Amino acid sequence: MENILLDRVTFSYGKKETIKRFSISFGKGEFCALIGPNGAGKSTILKLCSGILKPQSGKIKLFNKDLEGYPSKERAGLVSYLPQLLDTNVSFKVMELAEMGLYPGGGGLSPDEAIGVAGLKEKAGYSITELSAGEKRRAFFAMLLVQGAKTLLLDEPLSHLDIKYQVELVKLLKDIIEKSGITVVMAVHDINTVFQFQKVCVIKDGGLFAAGSPGEIITKELIREVFEVEAENLLPQRIL
Amino acid sequence: MKKINISILIIASISITLFSLLFGPSFINPFSLDDISGKILFQLRLPRVVTSFLIGSSLGASGAILQGILRNPLADPYILGISSGSALFAAASLMAGSAFLGPSTTALLAFSGALITCGIVGALGYKDGILLPERLLLAGIGLGFLFTAVLMLFMSLSTNYGMRRALLWIFGDLSMADWSQIPWGVLLISAGLILSISRAKGLNALMLGDEIAHSLGFSPSGERLVFFTSVSLMTATSVALGGVIGFIGLLIPHIVRFLTGSDAKTLIPLSALLGAGLLTLADTIGRTVIAPSELPSGVVTSLIGAPYFLYLLRKKI
Amino acid sequence: MTKRLILAIIILLSLSRCALAAGTGRIVSLAPNVTEILYSLGLEKRVVAVTDFCDYPPEAKSKPKVGGMVNPSLEAIVRMKPDIVIMAEDGNPKELEERIRGLGINTYVVRAKRLRELPGEIERLGKALKVEKKAEKLSFEIENAIAGLRKRNPAKTGSRALFIVWPEPLIVAGPGTAINDALELLGWENIAKDAAAEYPKYSIDEIIIRSPQVIFMAKGHDASFDRRLLKKLSGVRAVKEGRVYYLGDPIMRLSPRIVEGIREMAAYGN
Repeated sequence: MENILLDRVTFSYGKKETIKRFSISFGKGEFCALIGPNGAGKSTILKLCSGILKPQSGKIKLFNKDLEGYPSKERAGLVSYLPQLLDTNVSFKVMELAEMGLYPGGGGLSPDEAIGVAGLKEKAGYSITELSAGEKRRAFFAMLLVQGAKTLLLDEPLSHLDIKYQVELVKLLKDIIEKSGITVVMAVHDINTVFQFQKVCVIKDGGLFAAGSPGEIITKELIREVFEVEAENLLPQRIL
Repeated sequence: MKKINISILIIASISITLFSLLFGPSFINPFSLDDISGKILFQLRLPRVVTSFLIGSSLGASGAILQGILRNPLADPYILGISSGSALFAAASLMAGSAFLGPSTTALLAFSGALITCGIVGALGYKDGILLPERLLLAGIGLGFLFTAVLMLFMSLSTNYGMRRALLWIFGDLSMADWSQIPWGVLLISAGLILSISRAKGLNALMLGDEIAHSLGFSPSGERLVFFTSVSLMTATSVALGGVIGFIGLLIPHIVRFLTGSDAKTLIPLSALLGAGLLTLADTIGRTVIAPSELPSGVVTSLIGAPYFLYLLRKKI
Repeated sequence: MTKRLILAIIILLSLSRCALAAGTGRIVSLAPNVTEILYSLGLEKRVVAVTDFCDYPPEAKSKPKVGGMVNPSLEAIVRMKPDIVIMAEDGNPKELEERIRGLGINTYVVRAKRLRELPGEIERLGKALKVEKKAEKLSFEIENAIAGLRKRNPAKTGSRALFIVWPEPLIVAGPGTAINDALELLGWENIAKDAAAEYPKYSIDEIIIRSPQVIFMAKGHDASFDRRLLKKLSGVRAVKEGRVYYLGDPIMRLSPRIVEGIREMAAYGN
């Protein structure tokens, strides 16, 4: 039984068909990256998986049951979503934000633990407006940890982080996956990062171009076709 | 720190209320009441203070809620056109000089006008079945302009006397406060407060953005509708009770946020409390400084609120 | 015997004072014309408070005040312990009357707005305040004076006149007002008598078209406004012939003094 299953899902923003008959699934314990050029549809797919967007056709199933059919609180225990842009002119404190992860019921870490894991222990009493971009993201991430949903959908979480925290975040996620068997699906922008993932899904023009382990599917040809760039300019050691 | 601030706010509000009852403009000793001062205390001051308490609390809470659901720190209860709609209906009856629904005509019309406005704004705020904050805001502002224009049209056609009555009402007139309207006020405003405080978590979630609110298990549009309804109810009632009193809904939430944070569980009730206290104080000032003439409380709140608002802006920017 | 007589006198005096004090003794007036009427009825001693606008007679200004006409201080009124509060329908809001009655205080509302209603109203008021004889006398005097002025008919009947209450915005006296009654009494035709309201905002063009022969203006505001207005009206007959007259307060108040005001007006007849 997959955490999330998309079956021939089509979604349009207005007239433009963004996602075309897309099928994919994410299973327990997977650590998966979604990669593709801007506008390919990565964010849209994550939003469809979270239930924020509803497809025009096709099915989306969460643990074998229709995503639509879940009561909101139950759904929140099974899938959580962190958007790319975080609306942060609210002056909640780091601790308050983490505690909001308890709203759907709280199946994850305690707020204290989550803040510690996110490396914000000293700043628990700070307002999130006083944090740097990366720290803000980690504060929200702590909230997700408290929420403890079985599937984490993260939209480009690494973009605003120092490389140190990027590495830490990935390590942290892998740890949690191992310990609690959650599934993590992350949209990433930088192709260099995909090799840390167990599985990669390449999205192009609203369709699934390829899926598999990064070592297998990331080839010179793929990079040329999807990103329209010569691999030599990107990852000389890896590909060549 | 937060707990101390909460206690301070509570004590301050209660003291202001007592002060207003016993002073302004003349002192009454509650332990030695004679016929006259008893009458003044129970039939004039008490209903007046209770009314200002109701109005202040409803405006304070509504301001806090609206700033949350619209994610706009400049929102106040009238931004959605409620003040213009209710002023239009109430002023129309005041200018025509008719009281066809009995002594509470003005209040009933103000209430209906407010609710009708909210209904229209709410309906316009929906797109594809989702209640959007941007649409609410634009619809409210647009409708507000429209109603104000119609109101001004009526005013230009009315007599001096009718216009003066309408203006005085619009500026916030608590001088006629009596016990008859208070049961309704208590009922409706408590309903609004209970409704919104019980769903405080939803407001917190909404403040993080629709996507995160959804991720936390809330329906953003549904929660927004519930809060919009409670704001409509409370604001309509407060306008019916005492006209359009400005700045409370705008300023109080900022002050409370500064003292005790943004958590809706404390923000809403404390905004209500502080709003109640401040309006009661403003009303007491209004009826004391140029006694026996009265400054409408709406004028006092604007005179105090506007400079303080500018001061706050300076600090933040 | 003497003791009994003295006792009887004392009892009689105190009884009569009681009769005076009870029922309608202490009066609060909430309108300037009401205050004037009360003073004319010799009730000065019984008037315990007035509004900020009660400026005639001058003695009235020294009485305790209860605030304005639209929202006087209810507390101040109650503190005066009035037996009766007298209001004018033309000036005090209806809700005010209901509220004061709700506080257990007697009220009387002067409903007269027209010139012809004044004598009757004074008589009614006199009855309510137990000064019938004085009221009858005053009412009779006013009726006589008005009748006398009507006979004189100083204006050439049908000649057109206008009364400007306020120059900017331009407000004139229209139909249903005592001022209109006064103009017609003296033989003038008020060019604004078909206006839509009692004190309408009038159009300058209309005045120029109807070209009144006489224009009366209320005193009491800055002369520069008047001058500006008259410049715009320079084509009007009254302005060209220099027949623009300023009238004082009396004509504007429905009280015994209005007779004075009408006399002032009459003096400017042809």
